[in-house]
Amino acid sequence: MQPELKKGTAEVLILSLLEDRARHGYELAKLIEKRSRGVLEFHVASLYPMLYRLERRGWIEGRWLEKAGHRRRRFYKLTAAGRKALPEQRKSWREFIRAIERVAQVGNA
Amino acid sequence: MPDWKEYVREHLPPLGLNGVREHEIVDEIAQQLEDAYSEAVVRGVSPEEAETRAAAQISDWAALEQEIRRAERPVANEIAVRVPKNLRAAVQEENIRKRRGGNMFADLLHDLRYALRLLRKNPGFTAVVVLTLALGIGANTAIFSIINAVVLRPLPYSDPSRIAALGQTAKDGEFTYAFTVPQFRFLRENHSQTLEAIGAYRGSGTFALKQQDKLEWVSAVSVTEDFFRVFGVSPVLGRAVQLNETQPGGANSVILTDALWRRMFGGDPGVIGQQISLDDSPYTVVGILPRDFKFIENPADIFIPLQLGNTLGDQGTNTEIAARLAPGADLAQAQSQLQAIFPQMPDKSSFVGVSAAPYQKALAGDLRPNLLILFGAVGLLLLIACANVASLILTRASSRAREISIRLALGAGRGRLLRQFLTESSVMAVIGAGVGLLAALWALRSLVAAIPWDLPTGAASVSIDGSVFAFTLGTAILTSVFFGLASFWQITRMNLVNALKEGGMNGGASRNRVRNVLVIGEVALSLTLLVGAALLAQTLYNLHRENLGFDPENVVTFVTPYPNVRPLTPERIWQFEQDVLARIQSIRGVTSAAAVSVAPLTNQSNVPVQVAGMNDPKHSFGGAEIRAVTDRYFQTMRIPLLRGREIQGDDITTGAPIAVINETLAKRWWPDSNPIGQQIVIGEYLGRQLFNPPDPPREVVGVVADVKNVLLSRPAPPMVYIAAGNKSIQLGGSTAWVIRSAPNAELGSAIHSTITTMDPQQRILRLKTMTEVIGSSIAAQRFDALLMSLFACVALALASVGIYGVLSLFVTQRTHEIGIRIALGAEPLQVLRLVVGQGLILAVIGVAIGIGAALGLTRFLTTILYHVTATSVAPYAIGGFALVIVALFASYIPARRATKVDPLVALRYE
Repeated sequence: MQPELKKGTAEVLILSLLEDRARHGYELAKLIEKRSRGVLEFHVASLYPMLYRLERRGWIEGRWLEKAGHRRRRFYKLTAAGRKALPEQRKSWREFIRAIERVAQVGNA
Repeated sequence: MPDWKEYVREHLPPLGLNGVREHEIVDEIAQQLEDAYSEAVVRGVSPEEAETRAAAQISDWAALEQEIRRAERPVANEIAVRVPKNLRAAVQEENIRKRRGGNMFADLLHDLRYALRLLRKNPGFTAVVVLTLALGIGANTAIFSIINAVVLRPLPYSDPSRIAALGQTAKDGEFTYAFTVPQFRFLRENHSQTLEAIGAYRGSGTFALKQQDKLEWVSAVSVTEDFFRVFGVSPVLGRAVQLNETQPGGANSVILTDALWRRMFGGDPGVIGQQISLDDSPYTVVGILPRDFKFIENPADIFIPLQLGNTLGDQGTNTEIAARLAPGADLAQAQSQLQAIFPQMPDKSSFVGVSAAPYQKALAGDLRPNLLILFGAVGLLLLIACANVASLILTRASSRAREISIRLALGAGRGRLLRQFLTESSVMAVIGAGVGLLAALWALRSLVAAIPWDLPTGAASVSIDGSVFAFTLGTAILTSVFFGLASFWQITRMNLVNALKEGGMNGGASRNRVRNVLVIGEVALSLTLLVGAALLAQTLYNLHRENLGFDPENVVTFVTPYPNVRPLTPERIWQFEQDVLARIQSIRGVTSAAAVSVAPLTNQSNVPVQVAGMNDPKHSFGGAEIRAVTDRYFQTMRIPLLRGREIQGDDITTGAPIAVINETLAKRWWPDSNPIGQQIVIGEYLGRQLFNPPDPPREVVGVVADVKNVLLSRPAPPMVYIAAGNKSIQLGGSTAWVIRSAPNAELGSAIHSTITTMDPQQRILRLKTMTEVIGSSIAAQRFDALLMSLFACVALALASVGIYGVLSLFVTQRTHEIGIRIALGAEPLQVLRLVVGQGLILAVIGVAIGIGAALGLTRFLTTILYHVTATSVAPYAIGGFALVIVALFASYIPARRATKVDPLVALRYE
């Protein structure tokens, strides 16, 4: 798999998870692991650089928040630009999946 | 629970981000690890296992760092990635600082380490700066150590600042710390309320102290009853000198120093009241001085009463007076009261005033102005060294402009940079001071040994002590603050964008101006030192050219104290002298030999003299130099006979009353007539006879050329030669000898063995060639000239380093321009001229300013110059010329480099 694809995969996952509400890094990692039932495991070593890259790009925004009874954490939320970019990302992701299905004839098997 | 923040900080390599961002990332990743850990613990995993699991989340920290770096990549980071290798350290430095946060002490340590690393990376620069500083600081410390010992450190007497030395000013402006005995008696009786005690003292030579089978030569000082009170000391055993002992014919008593008492008498208290033998005369021991008392001015072993009589010796201006100020009185009050009683003071015909000076100042004597001049000179040297270091640092700041710009771009505070610069220059200053201190320790030893003056407080008193060290450190810190500020000032004036764009090599015009000003200053100060050195060298040369009046080549001289026989009669002395003369003349190679009471340039022996029967001041002279000589004296010394005849052997054997006078005396009394056949009386002054019985009138039989007396720089005084052997006139306690011979390396030992076979107890003192005598008579001037020349040479070297540095930078900055010129067909000579011309301009401006500075500063040299004025043209011309030549040489290497510029490379340089 080309690196761009891999990167794209991860990006769309994160943007999707942030679509309904702000989450912090640990939560994101946990969610990805849980929802994929352990198939996808996001290494810390790639998660955070990913978040930073998205933040630089202006799609997500991190902010330190302190909730009652909890430690200070950095919560990421989708920015307007991120929200606008998400459908486009999903679309290209879907196209990618379809392309794989066609090649590997996964769906018709 | 482990501190995960600390854990991340330890593992994550620096990211090259600004501090806040870097902090955030560390925090966030730490939070991640902590969450993983806490979760594991909640699930019931043991803390150790939880820790391992959390840590396992990040296996490759370097990869994480790379990823984050790639993800981030702010503007600053764009620069950082493109930073040349040699500047990466600076970038890293910024980041480490930011992540660590503020902690004064840790910052300081960190700054120190960073400074040391930078200095190690530039060994050439560091070496030049440290050496320059070490030279400046070392020379200052060495000279200051001597000044401290001689001028500043309080004398070891009780309340030493209240001790005054009395002195009087002669009509010719000459100041002397000596009085006649009648003058002292007058002052003692009339001393005002401002003086609590007044004591007179006079060196009394050496005595043979015989104690059972032991013999020791001990030196003595004669003192009056108040002497010890003046110096705030009283004997620990027995008593001090009493008033009645200072009368002529008073009891012979003696007070011993602690050292002598222990050495010769085993510290036996029973010695008080006992008689001891000094020169075979009985003296009663009356007191023992405390162990810590030392009479610095004349470290004698014994003190005996000064008997205030009316002998010829008592009439001479040869007695020193020290006084202790009364409580509440100050020196100025004492001074004015002394001046008020001066009109009644006896023997004041040749004096115009009496005054009181701090005793310590009097003790330092001639040394004081000399030391202050040398101190001024090393001060200038330190200034030059500072200018040089500042210029070096500024030049380096230019080449560091890029590093600094990057750090400023990364958000470094100016305050922090200032601290960094101060730390860096302080480190250099401290190393420089350290090396300088070592150099001073070494220099001090050789300097003290080379000092031609007797250090009043003794050579052992000169050491690097606390205050000297404080002075060095102070100088170091001052200079360091100065350099730090200077280079920081440069940086803050720098245009960051330009610095980044231009690669930092092109300093602004203002920066060049500062460096030029520093170099011009160095040249100007160096010129001042050069002029000083030239003036002193000229002085030395003039002294060497002085007409001695005799031929010193192949002449050896020495002194023999009178033989140790009792009773010591004129006949016994003459017998001894004849024996010595006969034996010396038989030494192989000796062509002629003679005895003289005092050899030229060694000492003086003055006695009044007048024209017989003429009792007016015009025909009396108070301080004529009297010499008793044997018949071949003039021949041995090659003193030209101008008129009449020399002293002959017959004159000695018959004791005929004759005299030979010198040209000065002949011109004084008989300017237009023939002095031969005239009658003079030695020891008579304004008709008063000072000898008892009086010396008979003597017929002048010859006139000889003038011979220098004590100092080369003084014209010869009136002088009278009489035949030796006629010891009705007592002329001191020793005989000097002059021997002319063929060059003979063994002459000295031959003389020694000749005389000691005659009398094993006979001492031979100050055996020297006449050339050495002349050398030591101008040793002070030679020392001054030597040190000043040394300083001037160092200054020249420093100035040439300065010029070289500025021109090197000039060539580097103008490589582009020079490349274009060469591409357009400029000849190497033209390029050479461009660079050398630049150097010459700096040198010429510096010389012009230096002439002004030198004219102002060399005024202080006037007192030690001889036959050369501080404004004479030659020294300035020589100094200026030397500097221009040095500037030419210093410019040549950068200029050569400029001619080698490859136009292609130079144009690509941008």
